[in-house]
Amino acid sequence: MKKVFKNEKETLAFAERFAQKLRGGEVVALIGELGAGKTVFAKGMASGLGIKERVQSPTFLLMKIYNVRPSTGLGHKIKHLCHVDAYRLSDAVELVDIGILDWLGRADTVAVIEWADKVAALIRGRKVIKIKMKLGGGEEKRKVEVISN
Amino acid sequence: MKILGIETSCDETSAAVVESDGRNFEVKSNVVSSQIKIHAKYGGVVPEVAARIHVEAILPVVKEALGPDGAGKIDAIAVAAGPGLITSLLVGNETAKILSWFWEKPLVALNHVEAHIYANWLTNKKIKFPALCLVVSGGHTELILMRGHGKYVMIGETRDDAAGECFDKTAKILGLGYPGGPAIAAEAKKLKVKSEKLKVKFPRPMIDTKDFDFSFSGLKTAVLYAARDFKNKDELEGIVPAMAHEVQEAIVDVLVAKLIRAAKKYEVKTVMLAGGVSANKRLRERFVSEIEKEMPSVDWNIPDFEYCTDNAAMVAAAGYFHAAKKDFTPWQKLKVDPNWEL
Repeated sequence: MKKVFKNEKETLAFAERFAQKLRGGEVVALIGELGAGKTVFAKGMASGLGIKERVQSPTFLLMKIYNVRPSTGLGHKIKHLCHVDAYRLSDAVELVDIGILDWLGRADTVAVIEWADKVAALIRGRKVIKIKMKLGGGEEKRKVEVISN
Repeated sequence: MKILGIETSCDETSAAVVESDGRNFEVKSNVVSSQIKIHAKYGGVVPEVAARIHVEAILPVVKEALGPDGAGKIDAIAVAAGPGLITSLLVGNETAKILSWFWEKPLVALNHVEAHIYANWLTNKKIKFPALCLVVSGGHTELILMRGHGKYVMIGETRDDAAGECFDKTAKILGLGYPGGPAIAAEAKKLKVKSEKLKVKFPRPMIDTKDFDFSFSGLKTAVLYAARDFKNKDELEGIVPAMAHEVQEAIVDVLVAKLIRAAKKYEVKTVMLAGGVSANKRLRERFVSEIEKEMPSVDWNIPDFEYCTDNAAMVAAAGYFHAAKKDFTPWQKLKVDPNWEL
């Protein structure tokens, strides 16, 4: 599925709806250059899952876990969003070191990984949904392609 | 009281001894072993590398900080327990635990952002409350209101990228080095012809919004598009100093504007800077000149350069205030928290 979004708001809204269709255990692999809108997509997913906390770029901390509050969640079994940023990494092992395997593939967790192409070894063989993001013409426009395996 | 501080949150392995009576702080030693050169080739901090090097450095660094007197003279140990990279935090915290047990000295576990704020107390200038601190680094951009020691209210923060992250990522787009802050500042200095400035203009995201939040991802995108527009490589190289200058101005403009507005709203008596980005000279100049122009009756304070980036002296300074209140954490209960919010 390929989509073109005119602005950040449209990307957010799409990511919200996308997240609401997830069942738990998925790994969402965000692939795209600097400024393509990966963090915006992750923010939209968090909002779609009913997370009220502010989602910031995880570039510095590398991984952040957000909890779905029972009062705001959708009532399904997804309890956590694991937001990862592999921008600064050169090897998947580095994410293993900070404990990512505790979260990947857990039935009550959705993982969203920015720069997932840098840590391909880590997600191979899992339930992965690839989201390829590209800058479109004009500063706000983004091209998004969703590939499920 | 003499405090041994330990800091290993990110890429600095540091230990320091600070003595204080609550008014004056004397840094007896502040040893920092940095991994920046190692990380530069990766374009950032790699946790596995960071932890491995912390392990190698921590004991010699602590030993050097203690000096020939050794542990006999210290009264407490303070360690930054988060936020940061978990593997790096663990090295400093496990070390602090063992030392606390072995030397039978009480232990203070504190927040890394809090430690950055307390670098201001190392200047020995009197800081009157309420005070407002802008904490800016690679991982943080926060406005924190303090109504007293240990009392923090976060009144604004970044909604996406941290200011230091914006420096790092725009430096990468412009083909400059890591860390991005010093690289952008050095490039901006090369701008000789003032008229060149007019060729590029970047947005000041959220500068006019009424809240005290920040946003820097749009600035990053604007730089990306501007760099793409110069398809010819030579042409881009010629304009890089002007772009670096404009990136720095845009970041500093937003930070200072929001800081001043918040300081006025909360009627603070002191305004402070903290964190690695507060070592940026342009930010320091503008911070001082705008406060003196807009709020001449308000005091300002900036940590010395060596205490802006990660260091253990700031951990020891913050640790003093916890120790004075006997706010200790038994070593058995010490736990790191990589996502700890102040």
